[in-house]
Amino acid sequence: MTDTSNVAVLDDDMDFAPAKERAGAKAAAWGGRGLTVGIGVAAVLTAIGIALWAVQLSGGMVQTAMRNLDSWGLYITMFMFFVGLSAGGLIISSVPKAFGIRGFGGISKVAVMSSIACTVAAIGMVVVDLGQPLRLWELFAYSNLGSPLMWDIIVLGTYLILSCVYLWAQVRAEQGKVSHTALRVISVVALVCAILVHSVTAWIFGLQQGREMWHTALLAPWFVSSALVCGTGLVMCVAAALRAAGYLALDQANLVRLAKLLAAFVLVDLYFFGCDLLTEAFPAAGGLAVVEMLTAGPLAPFFWGEVVLCAVAAVICLVPSLRTTPLMVAAGLCAIVAILCKRVQLLVGGFQIANIGLPGPVGPMTVTGWESGMAGAYQGMVYWPAPIEWGVALGVVALAVLVFLLGVKFLPLRPQD
Amino acid sequence: MVDKRLAIVVDTKRCIACNSCAVACKIENNLPNEVWWNRILNVGGSNMDSPSGTYPNLSMQTITLSCQHCENPACVKVCPVGATYKDPETGVVRQDYDKCIGCRMCMSACPYTGVRSFNWEEPGYHVDFAVGDADVVPHQKHTVEKCTMCWHRLAKDLQPACMEVCIGRARFFGDLNDPESEVSKLIAKRQYIQLLPEMGTKPSVYYLV
Ligand code: SF4
Ligand code: SF4
Repeated sequence: MTDTSNVAVLDDDMDFAPAKERAGAKAAAWGGRGLTVGIGVAAVLTAIGIALWAVQLSGGMVQTAMRNLDSWGLYITMFMFFVGLSAGGLIISSVPKAFGIRGFGGISKVAVMSSIACTVAAIGMVVVDLGQPLRLWELFAYSNLGSPLMWDIIVLGTYLILSCVYLWAQVRAEQGKVSHTALRVISVVALVCAILVHSVTAWIFGLQQGREMWHTALLAPWFVSSALVCGTGLVMCVAAALRAAGYLALDQANLVRLAKLLAAFVLVDLYFFGCDLLTEAFPAAGGLAVVEMLTAGPLAPFFWGEVVLCAVAAVICLVPSLRTTPLMVAAGLCAIVAILCKRVQLLVGGFQIANIGLPGPVGPMTVTGWESGMAGAYQGMVYWPAPIEWGVALGVVALAVLVFLLGVKFLPLRPQD
Repeated sequence: MVDKRLAIVVDTKRCIACNSCAVACKIENNLPNEVWWNRILNVGGSNMDSPSGTYPNLSMQTITLSCQHCENPACVKVCPVGATYKDPETGVVRQDYDKCIGCRMCMSACPYTGVRSFNWEEPGYHVDFAVGDADVVPHQKHTVEKCTMCWHRLAKDLQPACMEVCIGRARFFGDLNDPESEVSKLIAKRQYIQLLPEMGTKPSVYYLV
């Protein structure tokens, strides 16, 4: 590591003193009933989710819509999505500290808290997808270190711990207990880990030669860029919401800077998308089927949804006169939903094209829409979640919200005066 | 002792798509309802007797599809706990139900559509007694399974059950590392195809054409 001790780290929270004073008066009365109700609702939804998960395990995963030919579904889609969401907070928070550039106002700690919550959700989504969650310990006893899933479990665990350490270090640094150099080192490590986490998640899919749509070297950098898009979108929405709630003061200039950043990320992501589509389609071989499936086939709503939402987000963020708070929040939401569409395309797209599509015996465990035979099952989207999957997934999301709200309530995440 | 490379050779010219091998597999391994480790795919259409082509140039073409026991198996590489693994002495790709955590990583990885199946519910059976060989490992809910090359029979020096019942005598089994074996000789003198060779998995199932 190079010598960082003589480089001053700019503290995010020093920048905007007047704004902070304004918020000061409101702050005293903050954290009231609304938050408690929110925590209560999240807790109840989490409990319902856990109950549904128990139903899924005892009655069998036959209650989900997943089947042998589309063996992953909503849970793994949401897993990809939440891994991505978790990026934004950590990166927005650590990049300024790691590189000693100006931060984004007092949102650093809240941003990391949102990362932690999203990582919890990502891990939760994998766990509810397992057929034998009680055998999770085997991952550590019999680890096959060659498996991308194993890498992901290791990196994701490290990432969660590191995010917590990073948050703790920020709090301690404000109290003067942790030096800025130490904080800077932690933020660099956290940043590297964040990039790793997305790459490794991409490799779960991208290293599989058996699925045309997934098998591309671009997938890892693309996952990073998509993560930056939806992560930045999330931070913008959270920051604006917390400001509206009077939790923290945030200078409009910082929101605008986030929006500009979002625009850049969206454009990079779209660029990758274009590169990938061209490379798939150009040889007019197997990849053409993938492109047709996306642009005109069963996944078209999600494909065009992503493209349009990304375009809307980019336009809002690039045109100065459009950068009002409501529109910027809308851009953030567009970015998040766009990446969700992307995740659906990736997951369902991987199963939508069967390598060996010859007709054979089809039964209720073969494929989701088995009643109409193989051809019928692949007519529309090969997979669409069953009610129990929505319920369990909602429970996991509620758990993440619960973690976040508890953090907001009990941890010193607000900018220090 | 030299390691074996056990392989299956199917003569598609002799296969009459009678489904006997699929049924033998089902019974021998006491497969739960809706589980088929070996399936007969008909090139001509979803009806088992539909021909392919247009009249009068019709032909019957079928492929029996089960785990290809790949020399370079995609499934083994991705299993996080080593529940699916290759037996070094025989080349058979095996599955340990007790270890499988049900992540279904292997099902995504395997290029051969549908050869792996997951028990989406508690295994159920149409008859209330176990059929087939007593040495077959019991099936488990929420774990992945597939063709074992009749591992329990190999242990007794028997051929897989699907070999014995084939009416057209279209199925052959043996060690490809032994140049004198029937399978080695067949693929030496006949033309064959392998499924999805471009995937690089090097399947151990050969289809004579
Ligand atoms: S056919 Fe599929 S399941 Fe069987 S060894 Fe090859 S990759 Fe594995
Ligand atoms: S489902 Fe079982 S066999 Fe397949 S990768 Fe997961 S643990 Fe391994």
